[in-house]
Amino acid sequence: MTRNFAAWPIILLLTVLSLPLFIMYLFLLVDTFSNTAPGSLLPNEFTLEHWRFLIDPTITGDVWKPTLTTVIFSASLMIIVVSVSATAGYALSRLALPFRRFVLSGIMVMHAFPSVTLIIGVFLVLQFAGLYNSLTGVILVKASLMLPFGIWIMKGFYDAVPWEIEMAGVQDGASRFTVWRRIILPQVKPGLLSLALFAFIDGWSEYMLPRILAPSSDFEVLSMYLNTVSDPNSSTYNFNIFKSVGLFYTLPVLALFVLFQNRLMNIFGGGTKG
Amino acid sequence: MVLLLGFFFLPVVLTSVFAFTNMSTATGISGGSYVVTGNLLRSLKDEGLDAKTIDALGQSSYVIDQAGLEKAHAAGVDARFITEIAERLKDRSFTSSTAFERELKTLPSRPTRVRDLKIAAGAFEQSVLNVRYASRGEMEAALTHMLENPPEGAIEKVATASYTGWTWTTENFKNLVITPDTWRIIGNTVFYVVLTLAFNVLVGLFLAITTFYLPPAGSGFFSVLWLLPRITPVVLYAVMWKWFTWEDGFVFNIAQDLGLPAFNYMKGSVASAWTVVILVNGFVGASFGMILFSGALKAIPVQQLWASEVDGASRWQQIRYIILPHMRWPILFVTSYQTLSLLSSYEQIWLTTNGGPGSTTTVWALEAFKTALNNYTGNLQYGLGAAMALILVAVGLILSIVYLRLFRFDEMMSKPKIEF
Amino acid sequence: MQISINNFTKTFDGTPVIDDMNLTIRDGEMLALLGPSGCGKSTTLFTISGIHRMDKGQLMFGDRDVSGLPSQKRNVGVVFQNYALYPHMNVFENIAFPLTVRKDNKADIDREVRFIAALTHISELLERRPGQLSGGQQQRVALARALVRKPDVLLLDEPLANLDAKLRLEMRSEIRRIQLETGITAVLVTHDQVEAMSMCDRIAIMKKGEIVQIDTPADMYSNPRTSFVAGFLGNPPISLLNGIAMGNTFSIAPIKLRVPLGSHEGIADGTPLKLGVRPEHFGPEGDIAVEGKITFAETQGRENLYDVELADGSVLRSIQPAARNWKLGEPVRWFIDSKSAFVFSDDGLRL
Ligand SMILES: Nc1ncnc2c1ncn2[C@@H]1O[C@H](COP(=O)(O)OP(=O)(O)O)[C@@H](O)[C@H]1O
Ligand SMILES: [Mg+2]
Repeated sequence: MTRNFAAWPIILLLTVLSLPLFIMYLFLLVDTFSNTAPGSLLPNEFTLEHWRFLIDPTITGDVWKPTLTTVIFSASLMIIVVSVSATAGYALSRLALPFRRFVLSGIMVMHAFPSVTLIIGVFLVLQFAGLYNSLTGVILVKASLMLPFGIWIMKGFYDAVPWEIEMAGVQDGASRFTVWRRIILPQVKPGLLSLALFAFIDGWSEYMLPRILAPSSDFEVLSMYLNTVSDPNSSTYNFNIFKSVGLFYTLPVLALFVLFQNRLMNIFGGGTKG
Repeated sequence: MVLLLGFFFLPVVLTSVFAFTNMSTATGISGGSYVVTGNLLRSLKDEGLDAKTIDALGQSSYVIDQAGLEKAHAAGVDARFITEIAERLKDRSFTSSTAFERELKTLPSRPTRVRDLKIAAGAFEQSVLNVRYASRGEMEAALTHMLENPPEGAIEKVATASYTGWTWTTENFKNLVITPDTWRIIGNTVFYVVLTLAFNVLVGLFLAITTFYLPPAGSGFFSVLWLLPRITPVVLYAVMWKWFTWEDGFVFNIAQDLGLPAFNYMKGSVASAWTVVILVNGFVGASFGMILFSGALKAIPVQQLWASEVDGASRWQQIRYIILPHMRWPILFVTSYQTLSLLSSYEQIWLTTNGGPGSTTTVWALEAFKTALNNYTGNLQYGLGAAMALILVAVGLILSIVYLRLFRFDEMMSKPKIEF
Repeated sequence: MQISINNFTKTFDGTPVIDDMNLTIRDGEMLALLGPSGCGKSTTLFTISGIHRMDKGQLMFGDRDVSGLPSQKRNVGVVFQNYALYPHMNVFENIAFPLTVRKDNKADIDREVRFIAALTHISELLERRPGQLSGGQQQRVALARALVRKPDVLLLDEPLANLDAKLRLEMRSEIRRIQLETGITAVLVTHDQVEAMSMCDRIAIMKKGEIVQIDTPADMYSNPRTSFVAGFLGNPPISLLNGIAMGNTFSIAPIKLRVPLGSHEGIADGTPLKLGVRPEHFGPEGDIAVEGKITFAETQGRENLYDVELADGSVLRSIQPAARNWKLGEPVRWFIDSKSAFVFSDDGLRL
């Protein structure tokens, strides 16, 4: 970037603004490995005791079952969203379907539309469908709420693949399906990967839907588990343990984010490019 | 497609349908039945239904009819006794149990034990009190049967009032309009959306521009730091804020050391609660602005910046005259997009202040959600909640269509080029 | 194979793009579709290939009617302007793709690919990815892929547009060589008259969705049917003078220019006409004298290019051997070679 200006005033301002975030995340990490005397800010001893919940279910209850549930939840979500978006996005981008304009505008409105406002309606739908309080129900709901976004993103990626490549495939005698599978799909692999990551992370972080649509079922996802642990009325209430559980819960997301930062960026900002 | 229909279209329809009902936990979400209860009679009396009708409804009568005879048979009453009743008392009716029982005692084959006599008498008892009727027709028939010369409209009134299930109503919207709370919440919502949005856009812009000028290492650090709130699961994020602002939390301790007022900032005062709410959401949203604005910044031809420096522009002038004009559309975009999502979001507020203290930080979406799905009295008012949600859905729909128009997404709908 | 297009009409969203076109491409010939950008060349090409549907009309491959068939059933090879190579496949896989989807057996595919690669001189590149090739090499791969399944017709959409000048020359002759060696019927779409003239057996000149003239390059150059055709062919382009018919001559009265109309007799005096003079037919030698002033001079090495402005402001272009230099502003008295000049009516038709 251009070097003609002094940088330190900016850094200073940025730092001040970022301080709350920095402190929160720093202590999130530090507190899980240390104890702090009451009333003090700085930790005074190193300890691993806050991580004992991993092996000792008596502290906060078994953590591995919710973890497994969350993996299942996020993975199913990812599979549904990616496979449906990959096909529907292609169809909407490239095929001359009946009602194409109508469906496209529908998807766009749904994508822009804040889906949380539908939660009451969704709640009633699940009640009628008998899927209330079931993992399947929550997965289906979450997946459908994500689909407009996913389809829209994938359509964007498909739109960016030159038509000529597709035409060439057709000229070479391949059916549209073969063209899609062997020629177009490899071109949008980055998009698929980003979407898959995003769906997984989003599912992993989901709290509202399981909480509202399946509050008392046998399975419990990590977000709900974490919320139970953090209940100030519970006997095990302890910020440090909570932070450890929280960090444990967030670690996969953080890891994915760090590993695939660039890919995720184009999703976080994408699908919304005007 | 089926899923989308199921979880978008259907909810929208259901929300709008239920907005016009008084559905709640008490009424259930499937249909109900018709019962006249003691409570209902009392409230009907308060509503001015005439005393005679109320009395009559509260009374039992005894009618000797075929249905009663069969019932008596089923109850195990002596067959000879039943035959006698049928022969001698058929089609007569009695208004009190004593009169009827006196009459029964005159029959030759009457049972010796008083209990058996009462069982026999009970078989002929007719009362609407606490009897469940599946349909309105049955209820009305029973009422007609019970009441001699009822006043005009009384039967309909009682039948309607006796319904236990949900009914159609526009009360929800009327209530919303007349409750002063509604306007307070709308005020809160506007306040929240405007301030958070301002925070998002300004901080997002600031971050984008500053990280743009920083060397890569610095800008990398800050963009990752600011992205963290966005990827941190909301439950953890909310509790981190609790740790930061709660009693005995971080800010609390610092304030104490500095001799400043230390209290639970998240719930302790209205001003601090609002600050927390706006910061909590603002930090999440700022990264959205940052990403989009950074993208737009990178698209500015760098020669323009160099040229402006050669022309002697200060940094501020460079931002003002070169960068900001390029940011018009991204800013408009972030604004409209965030307006939409802020209007409907309540997750963070729910998990932090939960609308408190009191309901000072309650926004519309949170109130709708609480009314319908999450309140402590246990009576979830789906109908009222749906009505509130419907207003949001309508606003959301209109805004999203407006903003799709605004950004001319039409261009993304170009026709497929392969025509076979 | 002979390709014929009969009464072809095409509209996009209500805008007519091709109007009742008839065109026959003879077996084994290379035909150029030449015209300015946006005149419907690509549309015609994509209709032959089966990407676009005809709104009206008929398309025959030999005596097979393929109007209703999708691309897959037409056996057409296309080279796209941007080559459209599959970026995730290497060159071998790219070329083999048409055979793979036809489910040919491995050995056949291998033999065919290597044969066509040898023909197009890319045998050493088979392991590379398209991203690692130069423009000319990509072009050869695209050609190889289009030819590998022995199509009935080869279609090339502006194949040289993305190449730099030197490669363009090289590929020009290469494409022609390969076409001649395979004997395939080919259609070349281009807006560059030099390409069309140098590579093709015949040229079809298009204007606004209509074919104005079909001819061999030489005939078209020496015998253009309209001023549009005359203006399109030849570099530097022909100059057009506006005048009227007067006593069996083309005349511009103010400068006393009179060019005999020769065989075109019986044109009423005063009819507006146009005179087309190619740069090589205007210079120090000729039969009709014109006086003017040099307003533009450009050295091209072997030849020099001049614009001569006449007294009434109209301009004649001239190309002359570099041996003698005229200076800018120098007054000249040069001559038009009247036998080689074309006379057009006011609406552009050749008389
Ligand atoms: N898919 C399309 N939809 C609408 N109009 C088109 C489409 N393809 C081409 N056109 C229009 O048809 C005309 C001819 O286009 P084309 O055949 O591509 O011209 P060219 O001769 O430059 O290849 C142009 O005006 C172009 O805008
Ligand atoms: Mg073209």
